[in-house]
Amino acid sequence: MKQTAAYFLAQLKRAARLLPGQILADVVVCFCAGVSACLLIAQGALAAEGTRYRIGIVGDLSDSYLGFGIAAVQEMDDSRFMIELVSMPEQEAEAAFRRGELYAVMRVPEGLMESIVYGENDKLVTYTAAQGQQGLGTMVMGEITDVASTLVTCSQSAIYAMQQVLAGQGRGEEIGRETDKLNLALIQMVLSRGGFGEVEVLGYGDGLSLELYYFCGAVLLFLLLSGLLNSALFVYQNGAFSCFLKARGVGALRQVLGEYLAYLLLVLTGLLTVCLFLGFGFERGLLGIPEWDGMGAAPFLAFLPALFPVTAMFAALQFFLFEVADGIVNGILLQLICGIGMGYLSGYFYPSAFFPEKMRMFGGFLPSGAAVRFAQAGALGKIPMAAWTAVFAWMAVFLALTILVRKYRTR
Amino acid sequence: MSMDVEITGIKKAYSRKKVLTDISFSMDAGSCAAILGSNGSGKSTLLSILAGVRRADGGSFYVYGHPDETGRQTDGCKEHGRGKNNPGPIRGTDLLREPGRIPKVLGYVPQGNPLMEELSAWDNLRMWYDRETLKRELAEGALRLLGIDGFLKTPVRRMSGGMKRRLSIGCAVVSHPGILVLDEPSTALDPVCRENIRSYLDVYRKEGGIVLMATHDAQDLELCNMCYILRGGVLHPWQYDGDFHRLTEALCGKSF
Repeated sequence: MKQTAAYFLAQLKRAARLLPGQILADVVVCFCAGVSACLLIAQGALAAEGTRYRIGIVGDLSDSYLGFGIAAVQEMDDSRFMIELVSMPEQEAEAAFRRGELYAVMRVPEGLMESIVYGENDKLVTYTAAQGQQGLGTMVMGEITDVASTLVTCSQSAIYAMQQVLAGQGRGEEIGRETDKLNLALIQMVLSRGGFGEVEVLGYGDGLSLELYYFCGAVLLFLLLSGLLNSALFVYQNGAFSCFLKARGVGALRQVLGEYLAYLLLVLTGLLTVCLFLGFGFERGLLGIPEWDGMGAAPFLAFLPALFPVTAMFAALQFFLFEVADGIVNGILLQLICGIGMGYLSGYFYPSAFFPEKMRMFGGFLPSGAAVRFAQAGALGKIPMAAWTAVFAWMAVFLALTILVRKYRTR
Repeated sequence: MSMDVEITGIKKAYSRKKVLTDISFSMDAGSCAAILGSNGSGKSTLLSILAGVRRADGGSFYVYGHPDETGRQTDGCKEHGRGKNNPGPIRGTDLLREPGRIPKVLGYVPQGNPLMEELSAWDNLRMWYDRETLKRELAEGALRLLGIDGFLKTPVRRMSGGMKRRLSIGCAVVSHPGILVLDEPSTALDPVCRENIRSYLDVYRKEGGIVLMATHDAQDLELCNMCYILRGGVLHPWQYDGDFHRLTEALCGKSF
């Protein structure tokens, strides 16, 4: 026991020697990530502000109802903030579409309105979009159809009825003025819809906002890849030292535990360094998460302890990978490949809801999946027992495997 | 002095490959033996088995205790009645069955560098020695003989190969073991460093310690009173007479 304690203390001394370099590396990473994130966010916000989908409309727009409907969508509807409808000749529209200046081209066939008025269904509006714009096309088509069909099919009956009534009463001179008034009233009714469309948001995980989901993913990805920053502890690792320790009575179990605790210290230091930056960002309002808005760094600090068990589990995983790999270079490559692979499968880069069911289940089963469930539950303030169990089970598995590998190497 | 050693029938195989088939030899207190052999012949495996690092598939490793005037510990033999009133040779424990006792009677220096590179010599030694013992050893004990006090504060990664090797030996002899097992102690060292280490081993042996080393260096053999060549998993006794050509032939199996 005395020797184990001495060994653990020696490992702590090693970790302490490496700490300054480690902290410096973390600061550099935080600084680079912070600057990149700020630039991306600023650029993204500007781009989002200026983005309007430009759609070319070609064909027979001579009908007053259609023309009015398009003008209404373009000038009065909420969709005008997102969609710009441009009337242009067909050849010019095709050329602009090919150059990428138009997101889509909508062709209105000749006699469309008459066909609709007479109840025929032989004229179709064709909508041409690039492959990536199909979703937008569906949305735009839905909107145009909604406005046009309401104006044309529903209001037409009322207008004709009113015109017949006025003519029957001998008030023919009022027909034009009353038709315009009724048209405006109908258009007002159609365009008073609350929004451009209802957007269905996929579930990101137990009701987290997109921002909090990605925040958890980013912090976990940092932890998952922190083995790259902490590899200094393994640079001089060699079999002779393990053999010597075993010969001096320090077996694989005590070796691994002593080294793991020192490694965990390094990983935790890295986490706390990053959290200093994040805490500063939250306190100053540079980082915004809807769930934590207006509360400064307090919710983030409350969330921080939930990261410790995950950190311990990831440290065990990284320690195992370094133990399995033959040499420091292989160890670093293994960390990188496993970290990115597991992070991707468990939804650190994209919400896992985008993945097929089987892939989502697999990603959830992985240690990274257990970690993300734990962290998300921690962010919401209540961690279920199943999440605790999964995280500690994975940690125990990785430590046990490390001990087995260490034993195997000195067998 | 302290102890004799008797090793019988040690076997070891990795999967289906038999590395050691029947290793038997004995050594008296104050003796030094060299194990020679080509690369991959099993020298390191044998030494690591004796050090308790690897497990043998069979065989025994007995240590017989003697009265100890120098203070060397022979704890592996205590339960058999060794003490001031019972000074004669006694039956020891089969250390292969109780490897936990090995660190008390045997110091092992593996072939590679068994040190923490980020730490100083002092920190490495403190892992094995308590503060008072360490100071005493540095002032008048084995560590002084090894000349470690000259580079106590130097981080291991800045040390020369000779310093590292001496420090490794210093860590291995912490419990004043009666047996010192070294795997190629003079590999890649300059002549001065080699001489330093040999001087220490000579003193250690003269004080009654047993030195067992695997080596490729003919000069190391001058220190030894026994030589064995490990071939085909068996140890063959061999007498070195200073003829390097004959040694090469022996390693190739042309003459025994």
